[in-house]
Amino acid sequence: MSETPHPELVVDGFPKKGRPRWIELATSADHKDIGRVLICGSLGFLFLAAVEMILMRLQLAAPENSFLSPVGFNRLLSEYGATAIFFFALPLVLGLFYYVAPLQIGARGTALPRLGQIGMGLWVAGATALYASFLFTPSEAGINPLAPLTELAFLSNNGVDAWATATGLATLGFVFIAIDLLTTIRNMRAPGMAWRRVPIFAWAAAVGSWLMLFIGPVLLAALTMLMIDRNYDGVFFADGSGGAPLLWQHLSWIFYSGAYMLILIFALAAIAEIVSVFAARPLFNRGVVMGSLAAIAVLGTLAWMQNMLTAPIGIGWMYFAMLMSLALIVPFGLIFFNLIATMLGGALRMRAPLLFAIGAISAISIGLAGEIEQSMVGAAWQLKNTTDATASTHFALVGGAVFGGFAALHYWFPKMTGRTMGESLARISFWTMAVGVVVTFVPLFFAGAEEGQVIDAYKFFGHTGVNAYNLIATIGAFVLFAGIVMTLVNAIASREGGPDAGHDPWGGETLEWFTLSPPEPHNFDVLPDVRSARPMRDIRAAIAYRSARAEAPARESQPVA
Amino acid sequence: MAPHSPGTHQIDTLLWIGFLAAAIVVVAVNVALFYAVRRYRVERGAKPRQATGGGRVQFQVAGALTLFAVVIFVVSIVYTEKARETPATGSAGLVSAKSKPLTIEATGQQWLWRYDYPNGAFSYYKLVVPVDTAVVLNLISTDVVHTWNVPDLSGKRDAVPGKVNHVIFRAEEEGNFVGQSATLSGQAYTAMRTEVEVVSEDEYKAFVAKQKSEIEAAQKRVVGVIQNGEVP
Repeated sequence: MSETPHPELVVDGFPKKGRPRWIELATSADHKDIGRVLICGSLGFLFLAAVEMILMRLQLAAPENSFLSPVGFNRLLSEYGATAIFFFALPLVLGLFYYVAPLQIGARGTALPRLGQIGMGLWVAGATALYASFLFTPSEAGINPLAPLTELAFLSNNGVDAWATATGLATLGFVFIAIDLLTTIRNMRAPGMAWRRVPIFAWAAAVGSWLMLFIGPVLLAALTMLMIDRNYDGVFFADGSGGAPLLWQHLSWIFYSGAYMLILIFALAAIAEIVSVFAARPLFNRGVVMGSLAAIAVLGTLAWMQNMLTAPIGIGWMYFAMLMSLALIVPFGLIFFNLIATMLGGALRMRAPLLFAIGAISAISIGLAGEIEQSMVGAAWQLKNTTDATASTHFALVGGAVFGGFAALHYWFPKMTGRTMGESLARISFWTMAVGVVVTFVPLFFAGAEEGQVIDAYKFFGHTGVNAYNLIATIGAFVLFAGIVMTLVNAIASREGGPDAGHDPWGGETLEWFTLSPPEPHNFDVLPDVRSARPMRDIRAAIAYRSARAEAPARESQPVA
Repeated sequence: MAPHSPGTHQIDTLLWIGFLAAAIVVVAVNVALFYAVRRYRVERGAKPRQATGGGRVQFQVAGALTLFAVVIFVVSIVYTEKARETPATGSAGLVSAKSKPLTIEATGQQWLWRYDYPNGAFSYYKLVVPVDTAVVLNLISTDVVHTWNVPDLSGKRDAVPGKVNHVIFRAEEEGNFVGQSATLSGQAYTAMRTEVEVVSEDEYKAFVAKQKSEIEAAQKRVVGVIQNGEVP
């Protein structure tokens, strides 16, 4: 037996100097470090996606503009789609789930930490592959590149391979993170935390992980087939020889529909936490919201053929897709009802998280209302692939991932850094973004629904009556961009310069507010017995009760109920 | 968009119904939200109630939402089925011997539409059809996915390689209707436009006859040149 138990930690009698922070982050298997990499990285990609959107909107500011070439536009479009979905929205969603959910359920880590670490590494590798393709040729095949345009015969350069590699690596990473998250939430909940007491956001993390476990492998299978087609003379998506171009559409739309729902499940769950805390009352009906979140995952994925209403599929399948899409009205409607019913009769503190949450509810409601019309079969025959679809999708997903994501960021930023984000810049940013999103996407509703302007086109023609709509949308895009940048700047500046937050700045009700900000690597020294869905409230009530009894001061050293 | 075919009239009505449904959703959510945010501020001395909503009100809301969804579903099917019907050819139209609709093959290829008429004639870019006549386009593609999209006459339909899709319309008046493919198909996607010229029955017959004779004359000339040993 040696004299020092851990000689590798001691140099010359002093503790070894820590490694640089970035090496710590890159090699850590702690869910908080992995979550931070995903969150910070995804916010960086939000900036890139916004720049790409600005460039495309500049090209579309005037009819028959020649700012970008057709190929240049198609490349930006493809990069924008992959960046926004695979490198901004999904990693932000999973990163926040991965950071917060283990804390919320009172776990001291995750169940399979190396799996999460590999997942983060794969995502970084995917992002590198996507942006490395700028060195040779980015994909030209669009946001969802439909076969057989992606076959070697039609796009022979490496762009589609880079795109498939990037999205494939990222998706594999998401699947690994989802496995870890799901295992953790199933097995490592604090004593007393039955499923009915699991916080809404952790419940959404479980539902979202299940969803990713289903849709991720579907896309991975499709991408594998695509790579075999392109590199090993496969014929999965080639016409003739037994191949089927529509197979790609089915598989990819299952993934994209599921991802759409995953983003909204994340946003609505984060909003539910925020609304309940900032209204100082419990969620109007937890059970209904939990059930609705699960129903959205199932129905939304089953509605994948809503994207194929003009394809040569049977009319019965189209009605099935419409039925699934319209059935979503019930769970989404119930969640909106319960969120607003929680505010009614509450005492709202209008701080930044609640402001962004309210903006998210409003934007998502507009986007989903547009999706109702997009899913009505006859109407979809006119509206599909017009800018009306762009506007609906962007209202719902900017509402979910950007407004909802920023609400969650403002809400949990104090837990991650120990500091709150600047309140006045947050307000300015919010109102700029709110104006920006309306001015950008409302004109596109009109251009698509009234004039039938088609999507993905690098230019439009002057006599089609959409000049003013497009110019206004471009101006709006700049406003939206400015608003987004303000919050990113706010986050960077507040990371070290923001006001001290303490362990519980908002009066939260779930266990992540029980630990330090930022939490120690092992999360909790000691855990309370969970006896309700609002353990922090129970703890505060117990402390208040004991302080009120002057004759019997608290015996425990820690505030444990 | 201005509907000029029986199908697009139905679609137009459905679009307005859809707009109404969407407007109801947007107004209901946002007015309730606005009211809650205005009324229940902590600065206004609001005291948070700790009550939660039990089953009864949730069932009522779920019932109302289900009813809303069912109504939209049924109305959509009714109008979609009407829009799908093959209209009867009118009195001014071209009536074939078996009173079948006029069937034209439409082939999407990068980045042009080709139309093959029943008498063997064909045309590129421009489709000529007789007025007041039921027309069926059999959509196919020789390369990638294209979308046939002339909004005034019909809803969109995809031409997918290896599959046949159908567009059905009956142009109600003479005139020119333009459209633009709506699925990204490569570099010159934006240039992939088409035009439907609706003419009288006699003009249509004259057009296809002239196309046919000109094509045959051109083919004869090419064959003659090749047979004489000259390389064209």
